[in-house]
Amino acid sequence: MPHADVVVIGAGLSGLTAATRLAEAGAVVTLVAKGHARTHWGSGGLDIAAPHAARTPADGVARLAALDHPYSYLAPCVAPSVAWMMERLAAAGLPYAGTLDTPIRRVPTAIGGTRRVAIVPQAQSAALRPWGRDEVLVVAGIAGYKDFWPLAIADSLAREAVWHGADRPAAVVGVSVELRGLGDRHNLNAMHLARRFDEGALRADDIAAIARAVERAAEGRPGRVALPAVFGLAAHAETWAALRAQLPLEPFEVPLVPPSVPGIRLWRVLRDRIRAAGGRVQLGEFVHAVRVEDGRVTAVEMEAATRTHAIRTEALVLATGGLSGGGLRATDDGRIVEPVLGLHVEAVEQDAWLVRDGLDPAGHPVEAAGVRADPDLRPLGADHRVSHANVHVVGGLLADQRSIRERCGDGVAIASGWRAARGLASDATRSPIDCEMADSARTEL
Amino acid sequence: MAVPHTVDVLVIGGGATGAGVLRDLARRGMTSLLVDREDFATGTSGRYHGLLHSGGRYVGKDKVAARECIEENRVLRRIAPASIEDTGGYFVATPDDPDDYVEAFADNCNQSGVDCDEVRVADLLAREPAINPGIRRAFRVPDGSIEPWGLIEAMVADARARGSDALTYHKVIGMEVAGGRIETVTVRDERTGSVSRVWPKFVVSAAGAWAGQIAALANVKVEMTPGKGTMLVYNYRVTDAVINRCHRSSDGDIMVPIHSVSILGTTDIKVPDPDDYDITRAEIRRLVDEGEKLFPSLREMRILRAYAGVRPLYQAPADTVAGAGNRSISRAHAILDHADQGVDNFVSIVGGKMTTHRLMAEQTVDAVAQKLGNTTACTTADEVLPGMEPGHHYWVGHRLADHEAEGGGDADLLCECELVTRRMAEAYLDTHWPCSIDDVRRGTRVGMGPCQGAFCTFRVAGLVAERLDAHTKATGRPAPGTEPGTPEEVGHAPGSGSLHAAIADRALTAFMRERAKGVRPIASGRQLQELMMTNLVFVDVLGVESLSTASALVFEDEEAVDAAR
Ligand SMILES: Cc1cc2nc3c(=O)[nH]c(=O)nc-3n(C[C@H](O)[C@H](O)[C@H](O)COP(=O)(O)OP(=O)(O)OC[C@H]3O[C@@H](n4cnc5c(N)ncnc54)[C@H](O)[C@@H]3O)c2cc1C
Ligand SMILES: Cc1cc2nc3c(=O)[nH]c(=O)nc-3n(C[C@H](O)[C@H](O)[C@H](O)COP(=O)(O)OP(=O)(O)OC[C@H]3O[C@@H](n4cnc5c(N)ncnc54)[C@H](O)[C@@H]3O)c2cc1C
Repeated sequence: MPHADVVVIGAGLSGLTAATRLAEAGAVVTLVAKGHARTHWGSGGLDIAAPHAARTPADGVARLAALDHPYSYLAPCVAPSVAWMMERLAAAGLPYAGTLDTPIRRVPTAIGGTRRVAIVPQAQSAALRPWGRDEVLVVAGIAGYKDFWPLAIADSLAREAVWHGADRPAAVVGVSVELRGLGDRHNLNAMHLARRFDEGALRADDIAAIARAVERAAEGRPGRVALPAVFGLAAHAETWAALRAQLPLEPFEVPLVPPSVPGIRLWRVLRDRIRAAGGRVQLGEFVHAVRVEDGRVTAVEMEAATRTHAIRTEALVLATGGLSGGGLRATDDGRIVEPVLGLHVEAVEQDAWLVRDGLDPAGHPVEAAGVRADPDLRPLGADHRVSHANVHVVGGLLADQRSIRERCGDGVAIASGWRAARGLASDATRSPIDCEMADSARTEL
Repeated sequence: MAVPHTVDVLVIGGGATGAGVLRDLARRGMTSLLVDREDFATGTSGRYHGLLHSGGRYVGKDKVAARECIEENRVLRRIAPASIEDTGGYFVATPDDPDDYVEAFADNCNQSGVDCDEVRVADLLAREPAINPGIRRAFRVPDGSIEPWGLIEAMVADARARGSDALTYHKVIGMEVAGGRIETVTVRDERTGSVSRVWPKFVVSAAGAWAGQIAALANVKVEMTPGKGTMLVYNYRVTDAVINRCHRSSDGDIMVPIHSVSILGTTDIKVPDPDDYDITRAEIRRLVDEGEKLFPSLREMRILRAYAGVRPLYQAPADTVAGAGNRSISRAHAILDHADQGVDNFVSIVGGKMTTHRLMAEQTVDAVAQKLGNTTACTTADEVLPGMEPGHHYWVGHRLADHEAEGGGDADLLCECELVTRRMAEAYLDTHWPCSIDDVRRGTRVGMGPCQGAFCTFRVAGLVAERLDAHTKATGRPAPGTEPGTPEEVGHAPGSGSLHAAIADRALTAFMRERAKGVRPIASGRQLQELMMTNLVFVDVLGVESLSTASALVFEDEEAVDAAR
């Protein structure tokens, strides 16, 4: 039976973070997951904490840390872990903009609303700068692509109310750009377009067509351009640089409904990093059993296509996500269970799971369901004692976050994944790895 | 559209019955106006089970109702073929069903004129493998499924072609009775709040479960016993034919395939208020527990949503039987001439079924005609409805065929789940604009499939914006419904600046609200997971909540309307 120091289950941001850090520290690490995670559904930005009224991510973390929230013990890890993550992304050619002290601001969305962000991929960052009094926002879409309707978005963003008091462009105009050869291509999705830019053959033409349309729409006014987030996966950096050089106005990408191209870029960087450091990443494997002896996990069994196999392991990082990821499941008889290990789950009564109004600012109480952990992220049983000594619970599976409303999902994932890896890596390699980031990294953030 | 001052007949209620009455009146030369407080088919006619009854469900206890059903079943197949799918139906005897009922079933059908053939259990199981293999006997009957939205539109179109009209979102809020007649009826435009009065010669209340409320406006007593029924929509065709249990009708004993889904129903619970659609988990449990007797693997199937409707059951003063449950109240209908309570020009049509709506309308209009001295004969049973080709039933593969005809895989799909192409949505908008995205949903099924609108609602909004823009560019003028100073249309928030942006807001925020509502009672397993995933996309990525306050006006309006109810 193959052997690993640590098995990580789950390929979301928390699992990727833990596996990256472990692999870098020299641990033998295998990450297994049945499929893709929230990266492929999300915006590609790093939402650290933006509860209502928070001014900056750091302020948001402090507010949440004062509640029953994973940040109450993870808060000290947030700054070093986010700095650690951003360093790696930048090194791989996918730089992010913003810091924990960047003001949280409203940026346009693909349905003509606004969302509150602070740390985003460079390609989204131009949306964050305050709007000058004379600036126009040109919303440029690609004709035939169905998930970004520039005229509707522009119409909606032209209304003061969707900006909720934030400064906004003086005018918003929408324009739809015809790209060569797409006239009769239907059912395009973001991935088709991203690959088209990756291939490069039509890139120059496409960018020129966009530039001409933007030029016409801007009518000589200063401003910025909102574009669907489809500008390349593997060749994103080149594509984006070319786009910036050619457009008459500064562009920014607007994240779209799944599949999320910016999220996939992020995912690929981390996957490659784990592999480069000697870790294994195995997708399409469903963990169906975990062997436990005396409160310690000893092996993980999984199922892929037709075969099943097992890995012996010294430790387990459980990064299977919350309800949306499948790390928690609601049973017919009204319980919420953690299916891999049967960990103890904290949740409200079934009758209180959902609020009547899906837009209630407080969100659905069931979002807060999850596994409670000690400060080392080891799972707590109903008796408040650690139930599995060599298991670490990270990311969306942790109880007491309402990540959708608190917008803390990425921050909790990174901080907890990083924190769990810190403890485990020192066990596995018997050589303590540096725990805290240097002060220089902190200010760089 | 302005409310006219005078009409021959004012019809209250835009469900199947009211639309049928409007059509029949118009065909006999009585120009009429129909009003509904919401869109067509938003009352019980949009919240029923979808069964075109063969009558088989009534043969054991109400032979009159059974006979009416089979006769009208034949009529509707002739006049409204496109709204009907000829699924056929079976009554199957599970081990739980009483022998004496099963033994007498075929005979009972015979006596009511319901065609019924016993089929071999093995043959049925081969065709419908989801059915409990333990069934003992099976009988085939001419059940079908019937879709309300197109049917009601066609009836209204027929009436409009003859000079009558219908106004949606116009609620009746008052009546003035003098000298033994209704003199005036007050209606309020629910979108603008403007109130107008109509002087009708005659008033027909086809307000279904709300008939008691309408009658009360004229100081007339109509005792309704609203019976709420809950149904579960499964995400694919569990069976291709309607499957009933062979016993006295009860909860969770019938599955109706309709379009791409199957609907399991129902429950029957007395509710004091016909606007009470709250679905309890106990009801869901009961439906699934009972449904499992028909379909052993039911629990593994995915439920898309739960919805409920309220039966317009009428409690005739004489047959008030103490202690009787709701299912013993007659499903048959009654025409109440309120002359006996001192109002001469007012009838209510209550009770009945979707399947018998045409007959109910005919009998109602007979009564009105007699009073107004009109002797023209009823023709509604003979004339095929406009837009429906004779003999052509709905066929579940038609969407795929249409889609293939438009180029198949590469045709422009707005809604992948229900195969709604851009062309279909545009055709709907051509004839219905200005309208809401919810109207487009009812008209085209966009958003009715497994994603429940998550990934197509905003595409329809985008399409609307493109069309408005194209119109303005082509004509140099604002598109209809967007001119400054026109009365606000569906969803238009005054001052918000853009009609279509407001419509989009309303649809997108309603999606968030309604999705939770439809899933709340059934939230477990994959439903809950999917709700959380769409929440994530809608809130985190799309910022939907930023729109909800942008259109606060629209929602304030709605709350005021609710409060007034
Ligand atoms: C759970 C359930 C399942 C059913 N299944 C079937 C079935 O499978 N097959 C079948 O044939 N029948 C079925 N029925 C019965 C059938 O649905 C109803 O009998 C039929 O739809 C009633 O139509 P209607 O037009 O009379 O009433 P409705 O469709 O309810 O129309 C009444 C209208 O009046 C309007 N209204 C109310 N108050 C006002 C006001 N103040 N001003 C203006 N308008 C007003 C309402 O908005 C509504 O649109 C079922 C019923 C239920 C509840
Ligand atoms: C014959 C028939 C066939 C049906 N087939 C299907 C089907 O294939 N798939 C299906 O999902 N449902 C189906 N339904 C159920 C239908 O979608 C509604 O649930 C039902 O008409 C009652 O509406 P409601 O309970 O949502 O009531 P309401 O309280 O009237 O809800 C109205 C609000 O709900 C929203 N809404 C309602 N349904 C949906 C939806 N499906 N998605 C998004 N928003 C929605 C509307 O936007 C509107 O704002 C069918 C119903 C009938 C009568």
